[in-house]
Amino acid sequence: MKWNVRTRCTLVCVAFIALFSIFSFRLVYLQIIKHDQYAELAAEKHGYRQPIYAERGAIVDANGEALAHNIPGRTVFADASLLKNRDAAIKLVSEALKIPTGVVAERLASSSRYIVIQREVPEEIALALRDNLQKQNVRGISLEHDTTRVYPNHSMLCHVIGFTDFDHHGIQGVEASMEQYLHGQDGYRHIERNRAGKEIVLYRGQKREARDGYQVHLTVDLHLQNIIENEIDAAMREFRPAKATIILMRPQTGEILAMANRPNFDLNLRSDAKPEQMKNRAVIDMMEPGSTFKIVAAAAALNEHKVRPDTTIFCENGLWNFGGRALHDHRPLGDLSVQDILVKSSNIGAAKLALSVGDQKFYEYIRRFGFGDRTGIELPGEIGGLIRPPQAWSKISITRIPMGHEIGVTPLQMTMAMATIANGGKLMTPRIVKSITTEDGRTIATFSPTVLRQVISPETAAQIGKALRGVVSDRGTAAAATVPGFTISGKTGTAQKVDPKGGYEKGKYVVSFIGYLPAENPQFVGLVVLDDAHTADPNLNYGGLVAGPIFSRVAEKAARYLDLEPHEDVGKQMTAERVALTNASRR
Amino acid sequence: MNRSRRKKFNTIDAASLARWIVITTFFALTGLIYVYRTIQLHDLATEKDRLEKEIVAVRKERDVASDQIAALTSRSALQRRLKEGYITMIPIAEHNIVRLSGNEIDAIRPVANQNAGK
Repeated sequence: MKWNVRTRCTLVCVAFIALFSIFSFRLVYLQIIKHDQYAELAAEKHGYRQPIYAERGAIVDANGEALAHNIPGRTVFADASLLKNRDAAIKLVSEALKIPTGVVAERLASSSRYIVIQREVPEEIALALRDNLQKQNVRGISLEHDTTRVYPNHSMLCHVIGFTDFDHHGIQGVEASMEQYLHGQDGYRHIERNRAGKEIVLYRGQKREARDGYQVHLTVDLHLQNIIENEIDAAMREFRPAKATIILMRPQTGEILAMANRPNFDLNLRSDAKPEQMKNRAVIDMMEPGSTFKIVAAAAALNEHKVRPDTTIFCENGLWNFGGRALHDHRPLGDLSVQDILVKSSNIGAAKLALSVGDQKFYEYIRRFGFGDRTGIELPGEIGGLIRPPQAWSKISITRIPMGHEIGVTPLQMTMAMATIANGGKLMTPRIVKSITTEDGRTIATFSPTVLRQVISPETAAQIGKALRGVVSDRGTAAAATVPGFTISGKTGTAQKVDPKGGYEKGKYVVSFIGYLPAENPQFVGLVVLDDAHTADPNLNYGGLVAGPIFSRVAEKAARYLDLEPHEDVGKQMTAERVALTNASRR
Repeated sequence: MNRSRRKKFNTIDAASLARWIVITTFFALTGLIYVYRTIQLHDLATEKDRLEKEIVAVRKERDVASDQIAALTSRSALQRRLKEGYITMIPIAEHNIVRLSGNEIDAIRPVANQNAGK
């Protein structure tokens, strides 16, 4: 068959039409029907969601001094699947990071695609390592963005500041409680990469900026903190206690001005610290408060108008049988006014004050002072203490609790109770965080003082405050706590140490002093607690003789720093040795 | 004769040619400008990237410098320096410190207790 030209042309045309139709259908199939699938594949191959890292916020003190901040670093990691020249990699990494070759070799023995060799490597060291790896054409070792959290004051304020884990999440202290503010929000941007893996900057896609963490401003003043840190160190050297706590607080606002505990640890070497060193004993340790708790019994009786400050109570000459058990005073005391019960720290007098208000009412006052509840301070792990309800009390509990036995309180709770007296009967919520701001100073949140409740009337608070002035005098138990030029209200405490197995440990005491100054216009409340202090003469292990002088030194320096004007010439401070001779301070 | 000879010449439609030249030139220029601009955009994007990296590097340097300042001026560092004798503190004598009263003109009031610190 012979095809003419026309037929041949038609056939060629048909063939072309058919061919291009197939192409067209294929194109439609690929570009429209399979568009999403192939777009996804292409995006997977060339597209990349690049993270933009947010920086964790800094923690600063009340004056803006840095307590915790970041420095840039890198995480050096290996991908075993890309690691061909293992020996060269081990040598280079070992030299750069100053890690023994054996350790690096051990880490690289894994077949994982993500082996962390070292975190928080300083930027310049990491970049130098990368250059060396590139020069020697060693593949499989990479760098990842990282930061190092640095605490410039090392162990100072360590329990309050806390620290972060490897992922930079706060796990203790303010680092943990303010995590939501400190932790920023990482951003991202969609980028495309060429065959060499380099970004094609022009084709940058959607972007979300990172939001850096906010700056947390504490109420703590580092100068005051420095004062108490030096004094607590001196106390540790002199008395070698197992534990110690000092707190300074502004009673009108509940702001913590300084807080120190021992034992402590260096925040920059936290991995070396033992759990015992990491405890913020001011909020998580429970102790029997001893005689400092007598202020609660006196406040309850005065506020309920069961007694007046000058009401005389017979203190049984130092021995009183109640409920079949003997209750002793440290020395025979006869008739004492309510004020003098506090000044002389009579156990029997305090017990009679509590009895005058009754079990239920006394329990109510204990709870109203905040005992048995967490204070709500912005520190993690706080405990509420241990207060049993009256139904669980024994017959003699009403006589033992007023002298600070049969109950467990935290040092912070005790400070708050004294602050209530100093603040006209108002119990404040303690605060350690002042405000949250951005790095450029824009305020995000402020934490204003919160009155929790009016525990006792201002008149009762004034009466107790007046009585407590007598404690810090030649007549009282804390003559060694005086600060010349200032009147101080305070109370000493000496409690036998509770044995975890039951009962009390013989010869071991928790000694404390809580006070405020100036008594007429309190600017700060201070608490000093030493657990199991060792004195040269075991008979001198009392709150007034051990904790009192420490308070005096702290208060004197703090008054100077706060520029408090001395109002009256109280006279010279008595030394602990001289006070010991007076025999009044032994409680 | 003249008429038939003239028929053998192809006449050039100058207006049409000019139109085509203009259109072609326009498209060619547009294409060239597009390519030039695209390359320029790539260059600018690369420059932007370089600047961003520089900003990040400067920020890192700032953080390192802030850390060094904090490390050298922190209380613990200063106390260590004080102990080592690199810095000294000269106490101000009591009689050199005065408090000027806010209420009374030229009145000097006590600033701290006279006995402490002796």
